[in-house]
Amino acid sequence: MAATTKAVFRVVIDGSIDSVWRELTKQGEAQAAVFNAWLHAQALAPGQKIQMRTGSGKYVMVVGEITDFTPPTRFAHTFRFTQYDDPECEVIYDLKQLPAGVECTLTVDRMPAGSKTAKDMQGGGTMIVNTLKSVVETGKPSFGTRLMYFMFKYLEFVLPKKSGVKNWPM
Amino acid sequence: MKGSPADMNEDELDLLFHALASQPRRAILEVVRRQPGCNLNFVTAHFSFSRIGIMKHIDVLEAAGLIISQRSGRERTLFFNAVPLQQVHENWTDQYSRFWAARLTNLKRSVEKRRE
Repeated sequence: MAATTKAVFRVVIDGSIDSVWRELTKQGEAQAAVFNAWLHAQALAPGQKIQMRTGSGKYVMVVGEITDFTPPTRFAHTFRFTQYDDPECEVIYDLKQLPAGVECTLTVDRMPAGSKTAKDMQGGGTMIVNTLKSVVETGKPSFGTRLMYFMFKYLEFVLPKKSGVKNWPM
Repeated sequence: MKGSPADMNEDELDLLFHALASQPRRAILEVVRRQPGCNLNFVTAHFSFSRIGIMKHIDVLEAAGLIISQRSGRERTLFFNAVPLQQVHENWTDQYSRFWAARLTNLKRSVEKRRE
């Protein structure tokens, strides 16, 4: 079995646990904290398949299956980038109410060591929790992140054909 | 002085810079960064000072949010958390200064590498 690695990211957010939970699980609109992707699922419950799609809905960036859905404290799902051939890993969001705010811990487990997935998630995890904090506390991502999302809209065509939504039936 | 709501507060900044203002703690952080999920014994093996001393340093790093420890059975596993460093970077730079600072650091790296 290939070696795997695990990464953990944590931030304390000045907001309610329900507002943080909503940002991570909302459907029908872009999730600003998660690369402006749209969460698609038939239902949010363990065993259900999920996809993170681009704004146009033409590409699927991530596929997975919900492994734990315990509002408002834990959301966990398997995770695989459609553009890579890496095996799936697991993403877990744990929320905990503290006197200072909501502690949000993002754990990415079972990443194949040295893989593209592991490399992308090292930077991606930091960005997700920081953007989540910014969105809950200020209502929007930082200026730099907004600029990046603006560019995403026009750069969708660089995604590989295999990430096309036709190739990933729910 | 108070920044925007998503900024770190002064107490958090104090904890972060206090944690980083120590050579042994930076060295411990580097060990944990290179070996995510390592335990206390693994870290202790890299240093000549006592296990108690290492534990105290790890507590300071944990209070600053730079290390996350998780229970795994009877063991305490350690992970490097880059989030506070990224927050400081974002709070103190904007798109333009980030771009030019990156250009300068790349230049420094490239010149110094050539000299080696």
